[in-house]
Amino acid sequence: MDPTIKDFEAAIAELETIVKKLEEGDLALEQSLELYERGVQLSRFCHTRLEAAEKRIEILNERGDLRPAGTDLK
Amino acid sequence: MSSLFDLPFDEPEPEKAQVDTPAARERQRTVLTVSELTSHIRDMLETAYAEVWVEAEISNCRLWNTGHLYFTLKDPGAQLKAVMFKSAVRSLRFKPEDGLHVVVRGRLSVYEPKGEYQIVCEQMEPHGLGALQLAFDQLKRRLQAEGLFDSARKRPLPAFPRKIGIVTSLDGAAIRDMIKVLDRRYPNAHLVVRPTRVQGEGAAADIARGLTDIIRVAGIDVVIVGRGGGSVEDLWAFNEEVVARAIVASPVPVISAVGHEVDFTIADFAADVRAPTPSAAAEIVVARKEDFCTHIERLGERLTGAVRGSIARLESRVHQLNRRPGFAGWSARLAIRGRHCAETTHALRHAAHAGIQRRLRAYQTLRLQLEQYDLRRRLGTVRAQLVGADHSLRAAAIRRHHRAEARLHTCAARLDSLSPLAVLGRGYAVVWNESRTHVIRKAIEVQPGDKVRVTLSEGELKCHVTSSDD
Repeated sequence: MDPTIKDFEAAIAELETIVKKLEEGDLALEQSLELYERGVQLSRFCHTRLEAAEKRIEILNERGDLRPAGTDLK
Repeated sequence: MSSLFDLPFDEPEPEKAQVDTPAARERQRTVLTVSELTSHIRDMLETAYAEVWVEAEISNCRLWNTGHLYFTLKDPGAQLKAVMFKSAVRSLRFKPEDGLHVVVRGRLSVYEPKGEYQIVCEQMEPHGLGALQLAFDQLKRRLQAEGLFDSARKRPLPAFPRKIGIVTSLDGAAIRDMIKVLDRRYPNAHLVVRPTRVQGEGAAADIARGLTDIIRVAGIDVVIVGRGGGSVEDLWAFNEEVVARAIVASPVPVISAVGHEVDFTIADFAADVRAPTPSAAAEIVVARKEDFCTHIERLGERLTGAVRGSIARLESRVHQLNRRPGFAGWSARLAIRGRHCAETTHALRHAAHAGIQRRLRAYQTLRLQLEQYDLRRRLGTVRAQLVGADHSLRAAAIRRHHRAEARLHTCAARLDSLSPLAVLGRGYAVVWNESRTHVIRKAIEVQPGDKVRVTLSEGELKCHVTSSDD
């Protein structure tokens, strides 16, 4: 994914900052459009991440091995 | 104290009564050594009080490093030395301490070398509340004092955990309840379950190890630890210190989910978030995620709104500026200037082009001229001109000569006709001064003695004037 976005929390924090900055106004048009573009990118990243994952249930045993859970749990 | 009266307290009394009678005293004058007596007392006490329950307050309580616990049981009227051996101490769920009001079960024992008796305690319970409750209170107080439950320690749950760790039993309802909630409202959750025992001997250590293990799995951002409902004893593992410490040591937030709404465990206090039930723990994770989704949606809307607003603000500023008198018609003026500019540019370009063309042409001309100034060619031309001029000059000279000749003839003829000398032929003469420069017309012009010349029709006379008559 986008290398400029570290992780989810970072994305959301940056998005919040951008929205706040834009809402405060007093920005040059170019700058606000630039910020908007970045904001859209971040928001898309978040949505993608939210929907990308698949349901999985794994069991961690005492030896530290991970294996998919049996059907009884699903 | 009433329970003590249920014990076989009175048994030795008949014997004592016998000893006390004066007749018996006379009859049985038996002298015993201290050892014999003490041994006898010991037999009596240990037989009579092989099992006794005592209610008292603990004082001088001391745990030796052998693991045995020594203390004194007392009430306002008496004291009793007490010991609890290591094996019994280990099964205590609370910590005996001074001032604690307890009920102990034990047997009396006599320490012969010192002639002391004491109670060897097998079991101890706090008086009033149950031992578990006391243990709970004590541990809670202690961990609280350590700051383990401080709200400052509580970490926020992740908005969107990559993986959710669950430490619980696979047999109970808890795991299924959690999965049910997640299936419904968080269908793409990634769960890692670490099965543990959740009740009985060793369960607490198992849970603690489970916690330690699961946080090592990469990507786990939150851990739920818990079990379904049960008795206080069933839930007890979650009141153990080792579990509380494992929760506190977790680098990721931990949600405790033990029993039902009404059940509070030490784990609940140590956890970052206490969920009333396992299902509720899953709901909390889901809600956090759903809040987060809403938050993102809203941020997206605000983002668009803010940009629209900022564009609208800029637009309105443009409009305002437009309306200012100084800017009236600026766009038209701008257009005019623009056109002017374009025209000028065009003209300039055209002019530049024309200038270049002109100069090019001039150059071509000059070049041609230069070629024409080729010396040989020029000399040829000059020579031709010279020859031409020579001819015309000669012709002109001849023409002039002829013309002069003709005029001469004419002139001569006319001269002839006009010559005064022609008159001379008719007998007239002309008188000149001596130098022949002046015609003398009057006698007065000469003096006697002057010489004059007289021109005749043929020849000339030199004459002296002798006299004149004017």
